[in-house]
Amino acid sequence: MENNNVEILLIEDNKNDAELAIRAFRKANLNNHLIHLKNGVEALEFLFGTGKFDVRDISKKPKVILLDLKMPKLNGLEVLAQIKANEQTKAIPVVVLTSSKEHPDIKRAYALGANSYIVKPVEFDDFSKVVTDLGFYWLLKNQPHV
Amino acid sequence: MDNKEKTIELIIANKKLAFQNQEKEKRAHELVSANKELAFQKKEKDKRAAELLLANKELAYQNEQKDKRAAELVLANEELAYQNEQKDKRAAELILANEELAYQKELKKKRASELSNSNKEVDDLEKRVKERTEDLESFSYSVSHDLRTPLRAINGYAKMLEEDYGTVLDAEGLRFLGEVRSNANKMGVLIDDLLTFSRLGRKGITKSTVDMNMLLETVLSALNQSMTHNAEIKFSNLLLAVADYNLLQHVLTNLLLNAIKYSSKKEKPMIEIKSEQKNGEIIYSISDNGVGFDMQYGNKLFGVFQRLHDDEEFSGNGVGLAIVKRIIDKHDGNVWAVGKEGQGATFYFSLPDNDK
Repeated sequence: MENNNVEILLIEDNKNDAELAIRAFRKANLNNHLIHLKNGVEALEFLFGTGKFDVRDISKKPKVILLDLKMPKLNGLEVLAQIKANEQTKAIPVVVLTSSKEHPDIKRAYALGANSYIVKPVEFDDFSKVVTDLGFYWLLKNQPHV
Repeated sequence: MDNKEKTIELIIANKKLAFQNQEKEKRAHELVSANKELAFQKKEKDKRAAELLLANKELAYQNEQKDKRAAELVLANEELAYQNEQKDKRAAELILANEELAYQKELKKKRASELSNSNKEVDDLEKRVKERTEDLESFSYSVSHDLRTPLRAINGYAKMLEEDYGTVLDAEGLRFLGEVRSNANKMGVLIDDLLTFSRLGRKGITKSTVDMNMLLETVLSALNQSMTHNAEIKFSNLLLAVADYNLLQHVLTNLLLNAIKYSSKKEKPMIEIKSEQKNGEIIYSISDNGVGFDMQYGNKLFGVFQRLHDDEEFSGNGVGLAIVKRIIDKHDGNVWAVGKEGQGATFYFSLPDNDK
């Protein structure tokens, strides 16, 4: 898939969760413009056109970023802070996906400008539904900033 | 003797006589004077005698007074002696009291140092509790995150297997797969319940006035959406509660789910919710005509992981009522249950009546 035509940017270090999410998007026919990046460093390189994404046209922005919080190196909150602190990227909706509603960082995520905070359900059908719903909402219902 | 001589003699004699007369008169005069003096002196003597008499009387009186005084002095001396004795006694008592005071002062000092020691212990304990709570919170988060992630994978891949390869599995294979998924789900619910239970220990409550009739309607419509049951559920004119809305919803959902579950094997399951005001409390009750329980084990109902039925008979993880108890405890209320095997159960919870 071409890096300049991305609608969903999935930032997720757990390959199982990523596979389940991608499957759910595929079942809803929402996976055509999805890119999965495995950590925060890659994600920022993609968004700011640096590192291995230095040829990418960064004016082409994803319609939604799905961001896992617990990641090695640069964690989700750090990635979120950088996205929301940058004029180029701060209007992109960021949906924080996490395994736990116990997360002490829910407040921090919202304070940093997260647009939504979603707990990944254990039950696969529920998980599929959540992923599909948020795909439909941000890709089809939501009117983007630009 | 011639006349002349005679005359002279006479004259002389006269003169002598005259002198003697004069002397005599003088003497008479002096006598009168002496008499007068005597009379005066006698008068004086009488006066003195009278004065002496008076003085004697005075002396006698003064003697009498002196005796009286002496008697009084004796008394006063006795009194003084008594008071001296008392004073000595008091002094001895004072010495004792001083000793006691000194002892108590020392004791106070000891107590103060003990108190400051135990205050320090309390501070240390509080610090440790805080640290432990923080540990527990991060542990909860880890449990929640780290256990849910592989569970989601188990569940998800089992489902994918079923979706993509269901056709190449026989009925028994599909059943195994179903068991994998349903157990993964059970574990998910258990983790969520345990986390709810531990979160309730830390979170404060926000009280408001809750219309229990409306809350029950809400709970019932949510229950009816998520499950099918044939229980007849009755309630009317329930008293208002002052409680945390969300937590109370949790309590009612839990108790109703239990009532539905444990009466589900009856032909006509009946559930009734009532309320009454009693001794400054409002007591709510949820009764069912289900399997009931043996009161002998009633105290185990509200403990974590405690169950009175096996999973085959009625599924459950033994956390639900522990959560209910923790919520009601937080509201300074009580939970209890009354039941008999095969004859239904009634679960009660009380909340402080804020009108009282």
